[in-house]
Amino acid sequence: MFSLQLFSANPNPFLRPKPYPKSKRTHVSSVLQWNRKPELAGETPRVVVITSGKGGVGKTTTTANVGLSLARLGFSVVAIDADVGLRNLDLLLGLESRVNYTVVEVLNGDCRLDQALVRDKRWSNFELLCISKPRSKLPIGFGGKALVWLVDALKAREGGSPDFIIIDCPAGIDAGFITAITPANEAVLVTTPDITSLRDADRVTGLLECDGIRDIKMIVNRVRTDMIKGEDMMSVLDVQEMLGLALLGVIPEDSEVIRSTNRGYPLVLNNPPTLAGLAFEQAAWRLVEQDSMKAVMAEEEPKKRGFFSFFGG
Amino acid sequence: MASIWLLQFPSLPFQHRVSSNGTSLLLHHRHCLCQRLNWIPLTPNRTFSMRAIHDSMSSEEDKVVDTAKSTLVVADSKHPLALFQESITSLPPVVFLMKNCPKNYFTMGLCITIAIMVVTLRAYAERKSSQSNPGSVADLVRRGQLRSDRRGISRPLKYDDPFNNPLVKVGKSNSTVEMCGKQYRLAPVTLTEEQQAIHQKRRSRAYQWKRPTVFLKEGDSIPPDVDPDTIRWIPANHPFATTSSDIDEDLAQNNVYQQRGVPFRIQAEHDALQRKLEALQKEEKLNNLFIDSRNAKDFQRPFKLNDRSVEPVEQGPINNSRIETKPAKPELASDSIESKISSDEMQQP
Repeated sequence: MFSLQLFSANPNPFLRPKPYPKSKRTHVSSVLQWNRKPELAGETPRVVVITSGKGGVGKTTTTANVGLSLARLGFSVVAIDADVGLRNLDLLLGLESRVNYTVVEVLNGDCRLDQALVRDKRWSNFELLCISKPRSKLPIGFGGKALVWLVDALKAREGGSPDFIIIDCPAGIDAGFITAITPANEAVLVTTPDITSLRDADRVTGLLECDGIRDIKMIVNRVRTDMIKGEDMMSVLDVQEMLGLALLGVIPEDSEVIRSTNRGYPLVLNNPPTLAGLAFEQAAWRLVEQDSMKAVMAEEEPKKRGFFSFFGG
Repeated sequence: MASIWLLQFPSLPFQHRVSSNGTSLLLHHRHCLCQRLNWIPLTPNRTFSMRAIHDSMSSEEDKVVDTAKSTLVVADSKHPLALFQESITSLPPVVFLMKNCPKNYFTMGLCITIAIMVVTLRAYAERKSSQSNPGSVADLVRRGQLRSDRRGISRPLKYDDPFNNPLVKVGKSNSTVEMCGKQYRLAPVTLTEEQQAIHQKRRSRAYQWKRPTVFLKEGDSIPPDVDPDTIRWIPANHPFATTSSDIDEDLAQNNVYQQRGVPFRIQAEHDALQRKLEALQKEEKLNNLFIDSRNAKDFQRPFKLNDRSVEPVEQGPINNSRIETKPAKPELASDSIESKISSDEMQQP
């Protein structure tokens, strides 16, 4: 695969990634040219759980794209797929052939934690950790403790603590959900502008608040501005009014998501970027700075052109 | 490319007014027409009139009036559209068509439209063919085999941050955005902190939940000091209903925190294998002491001899040979010592 290079008008030591202890220093590179970097807010490592309640709204897609966006911004990221039975974050990232060990093997003593971490060759400061392989089991009630140990071990590792630990939560509010939210300090709720997703999102938000997670922000996914304009879909402001959560991002419906899943290449890496990819990047930026959206875009009728506009007037 | 004649100056029914206002107005119209005619190739008999008009534009008013009088036919004050129409009808092909089909204006208009479309399409096709060069490196870039920004074929996307993208055009008032051919309006977020607090209170009343800390199966008794809200009952048919007692938590925690060395289970398996090998080697040494020199097969299969001596006697006719071998053990012991001595003698050069 090709290597990407990070250009900066002002060389900044923050732009260089933390060196990995047992390998030669790798240069993090990006196709996009940055002149400034977002300022990291909050204490590191920031443990963020991406949840939704309802399945199929885009949690795993959000985890993959936001995680890689953070890595491109120069932060060290560890993404954990906390779905014990149905693992698919590795598929979205295109790393399915490189997952040999999971957390179950680490707990059993078959490998160390650093051996179970899969480092992305495209971005050396992005690592993936899967909880289990599809046929293995984790005892109910034990997963939460295991995840807490994992986060502590990642904080204490020799290569340095990661800046972000992003946990992809499974659907539902069962044992998998409890496992995933155990070590988290903040949450990103992914929802779509339909009533079923909103009801589940509201319940999940209630459970998160009961568990002590107060910093909860929302990403509204699969937004169709044309349907909102035609009053066939709830607007983002309507969603916000129902849930009462700060907006981290609004992701438009994009067919490129499916293509990127097929390729195992997250769409934030596309050049030129797609609309959804740009939206994910912006959401990652706001996550770093603990910011939220101040305005949303509503589609309008295009302005009518005069007769002479045909001639270039 | 065929040239199209739009105007024919000698037949222009211009009329010139003596008054200064009319002159300036008419001259202005002529100026507009002349500017458009600059690209038309001129015939020799028209050059003089064109140049005269152009000269008349740049010179003073009196000179303009004089030259205009000498070369041009002054026209009455007609509507510019009528003048334009007259100028079109004065073209030779148009005149020809009108003579042959005087009332077929529709056909004439259609022919002109078709001609314009053909010219446009040809120009577009030429531009397209000049851009695409089949079989070039651009195809490799298009297929994703090569990166375009390295090749310099396309400029890399530059912007300060995702909020300042050149593909996104923000209107002057910052309330409209143009993106991908669509127009958007920026609507500010209306959620206040008070509204957020109201939602939080609503949820705390609606969803009262405690994290489960005790997981019990059906039939298990509830511990006395445990909050019933924190108990989770695991159904018997749950796919992941394995008991936690199967896993040593301390050991698992140590495994997670291990940063160096061989993982615990691998090391344990390695140690177990090592011990087994050592045990097997010891047994092999012992077995070598019991080998019968009279029977060559015993050398080849020391383990089998060993197994035969160990297996119980209860198995039937097969055991007959074993029964025979059993009482011969003391003899075999002495024989084995002798065989060892003889083998040592054989090994000496």
